Amino acid sequence: MTDSHVSRRRLLRYGAYGAGAAALTGTAASWDRLTGADIPGRDDGSLVVATLGPAYGPEAIRTLTEGFGEVHPDIKLRINAVQAVDWSDFFAKILTQIAAGTAPDLVYVATEGVQLFAQRLGVALDQWVKRDAAELREYFADVHPSLVESMMYEGSLYQLPVEFNAADMYLNNQVLKRAGASFPAADWTRDDFTSLLRDMKKSSGSRFTPYFWTNRLWGGVVPWLFANGTNLLTETKAPGGAWLWDSFYPAAERQGRGGGFRWTTPQATHDRVEEVYDYLASLIHEDLCTRPEGGNGQNLVGVFSTGRVGVTPAGGFWAGGLHLAGMQAADYDVQYFPRWRTQRMQFGAAGYALLRTSKRQEEAWEFIKYAARRDTLMRLFKTNQTTPARRSMLTADRYRETGPNHWQTFYDTLDKFPDTGPIPAPPQVAEVEQVLLKHTGTALAARRSVGPALRRMQGDLEKAMERDV
Amino acid sequence: MTTTRTSARTRTVTPPPVPPAPPSARDRGTRLLATLFLAPTIVGIVVFTVVPIAGSVVLSLFHWNVIDDPSFAGAANYRETLSDSTVLVSFRNTLVFMVLAVALQLLIALVLALAVNGRMPVWLRSVFRSAFFFPLVLSAASISVVMKYLFNQDFGVVNWLLGLIGIAPVPWLTSENSAMAAVILVYVWQQFGFSFLLFVGGLNNIPKEIHEAASLDGATGLRKHLNVTLPLLSPTLLVASVVGIINALQVFEQPYVLTNGGPGDSTRTVVMVIYESAFEQLRFGEASAVGVLLFVLIMAVTALQFRLSRRFVHYQ
Repeated sequence: MTDSHVSRRRLLRYGAYGAGAAALTGTAASWDRLTGADIPGRDDGSLVVATLGPAYGPEAIRTLTEGFGEVHPDIKLRINAVQAVDWSDFFAKILTQIAAGTAPDLVYVATEGVQLFAQRLGVALDQWVKRDAAELREYFADVHPSLVESMMYEGSLYQLPVEFNAADMYLNNQVLKRAGASFPAADWTRDDFTSLLRDMKKSSGSRFTPYFWTNRLWGGVVPWLFANGTNLLTETKAPGGAWLWDSFYPAAERQGRGGGFRWTTPQATHDRVEEVYDYLASLIHEDLCTRPEGGNGQNLVGVFSTGRVGVTPAGGFWAGGLHLAGMQAADYDVQYFPRWRTQRMQFGAAGYALLRTSKRQEEAWEFIKYAARRDTLMRLFKTNQTTPARRSMLTADRYRETGPNHWQTFYDTLDKFPDTGPIPAPPQVAEVEQVLLKHTGTALAARRSVGPALRRMQGDLEKAMERDV
Repeated sequence: MTTTRTSARTRTVTPPPVPPAPPSARDRGTRLLATLFLAPTIVGIVVFTVVPIAGSVVLSLFHWNVIDDPSFAGAANYRETLSDSTVLVSFRNTLVFMVLAVALQLLIALVLALAVNGRMPVWLRSVFRSAFFFPLVLSAASISVVMKYLFNQDFGVVNWLLGLIGIAPVPWLTSENSAMAAVILVYVWQQFGFSFLLFVGGLNNIPKEIHEAASLDGATGLRKHLNVTLPLLSPTLLVASVVGIINALQVFEQPYVLTNGGPGDSTRTVVMVIYESAFEQLRFGEASAVGVLLFVLIMAVTALQFRLSRRFVHYQ
C-alpha cells in the first residue's frame, strides 16, 4: 500500500523550491522597476533637467515640457523635479545623483551653488551667448546686470538668471497700526528700525516678537553685514566679462562690472562684523527679536500672518506664500532693508547650469534659452512664488491680488541700489554656511559671547577657505 | 570504557576516535534545504550590509568629492578626523545623548510597563499599549518638525503652558544649556514605546508562582520588584538596552530638524557630521572615516554590554 501523504520534509523542500522560483520570477518581472529602467525618458536620449521640486509643481512641469515640445519637437525632454526643503538640500540630492552615475544634463542652481558648479561641474555658456547674441539681446535688456554678474565665474557666464529674491523687510500692517506707527520711508535707518520694534513691543503682548529672522546664509545675518558696509568674506570682482557687458548693456549699466564675484579672505573679526552681531545681540537682550533658529523659515508664514511677528526679512517669494496663508494684499507690505552705513542689500538668484557630463549640450542650450523666455516665465511664475528676473514682468497687475502695495520694491532693490549683490557663495559655500550658522548661534545664544564666537568663526572660515572643494 | 590494572591505580584508556560517518543523502538534502531557506537573508545581509561596510572602509582610505576621481589618502582621513574639533565634539555629544536618552527611555518604559501590567482592565491595557507605541510608527522627521513648533521660544505651546504657571519662556532650541535636553525629550518620547513593549512581554513571561512565593516570604511592592521582577526581567533589559544604545548612537533626524546641530555644536551628533561631510561638503572619504569610527564604537559598546551581561543577567 502506498502512502498518499506527502512527508513534511518533502513539503518543505518543494515549498523552498517554489519560493525560490517565485523569488526569481518576481525579480525578473520587476527588473525594470528595480533598476529604474521603467522611468519615462530614462536612458532614451531625453534631455534631463533637474529642478527644485516645490518650486516646480506638476503644472509647471507640464508647462515646461509641452511648451518646449512645441518649439523643439525633435528634442525629448524629461523634467526631474527633485523634492528638497531648500537649496542646500536640493544640492545634496543632485550631487548624490551625480555620484550614482545618473547625472542630469541641466540643473537648476541658485547663487549658493553657482561657483561650485562653475568650478567643478558646469560648462561656460560664452560660446552660445556670443553665437545667439541677436536672439538674447531682448533678454539681457530685461534683466538687471547684477543678476547676470552673479551668474559669472572668472570671466565666463554659466547661467541665465530666471528668478531672484532680494532680502527686503516685510511688515505686518495690523501690527504697525496697533503700534500707531506709519509705514517706514524708503530711506529709513537702523535706528528708525529699532524704534519701530520698540513701539511694536510696547503696543503688543508678551507673546509677541517684533523682529523674527532665521539663521541661514540668505536673509540671516548677512543682510545686516551688507547694510553695515561689510561682508563675511572679502569681496572683489574677477577680471573679464567685457565680452558680455560690451555686447548687451549700455555704458552706464556696465560701469564697474567684471567677470563675476570673488569671495576670499574671511573677515569675521572685522570691527563692522562685530558691530552687527552686537546690534543683533542687543535686540535679543531687549526682547525685540528672538534668538535665531536654524531652518528655512517654514514656521514664519504662520506667525507673521497671525500678527505674532511684526517685521521679518524675506524676498518676493513671500508675496505668493503669504497669499496662500490667507493674507490679503492690504494686510502686509514690503520696504527696503534699513540703512546703516550703506543701504546695500543682498539677493540670491537662480538659473539652469549645464553639466560637463552632458552629451546633449546643444539641446541643453536651447532649453536654457527657452526657460528664460518671457512667455515661459509668465506661465511658470503665475503665483508669485518668486521674483522674476525679467523686470518687465513686475507689474501692478501681477501683484493686485496677492500684494504687497509696494511691489516695486522687489526690482527697485536692484535698480535703485546698484551695489546690491549676491550672498557670499564661493565654491566652499557649504562649509562657509555651516560655520556661519554654527557660530552665529553661539554668538547670540548668551550675553558677552559675540567676541569669542567670532574669533572661532574666523578660524573655522580660514580652514574652510583653505580647503580645496 | 576499558579499565586495566596497573600498579595500584586504575587508568582510563581512551579508545581511538571513530571517524564520523559520511553524510547521508538525507543529511545533504537537509543542508541544501536549510541553505535555500537562508539564502534570501544571507544575500540581503551581504548586499545591503557587508558590501556597504566594506565599501565605507575602502572609501575611508581615499579622498573623493564625487566630482573628481578618488585619490588614495591612506590614514590621512582618520588623522584629519581625529584632529577635527567638530568631530570630537560630535562624539562627545553622541555619548552624552546615548547615556541620558537610553537611561531615561528605559526608566520611563519600565515604570509604565509595571503600571500597565498591574491591575487594570484588559481593554485599557490595550489602549495604553497602542498609545505608547504609536509615536514609534511615525516618521522621526515629521515628529521633529511638529516638535520644533511646540518648543519654539516665542510661539511654542510648551512655553505657553509654562507661562500659565508663571515660568518665563525657555529658549529650548536656541540655548546651549537646553537644546540637548529638548532633543533628548523628543527622542525619548518617540522611542520609549519599543522598550515598553519589550518590558510588557518580559513581565508577562515571569511566572506568577515566583511572585506568590515572594509574597509568602513577606516581600512587598518595591522589594518584590527589586529582588524578583528586575532580576527576572534582566534578559529583556539587556535586549532593550542593546537596541536602545545602538539606535541612540545613530541618532540623526531629531537634532538635524530641531536644532541643525546648534547652537554652536551643542547638539551635533556623529551621524550629522557624516551627513554634512559627505553630502554638504563633498568629503566622502572623511565622512566614511567617521562612519568607520562610529561602527567600531558601536561594536565596542555592544561587546562590552554582552560581556557585562554575564554578571548581571539572570536566566530562569
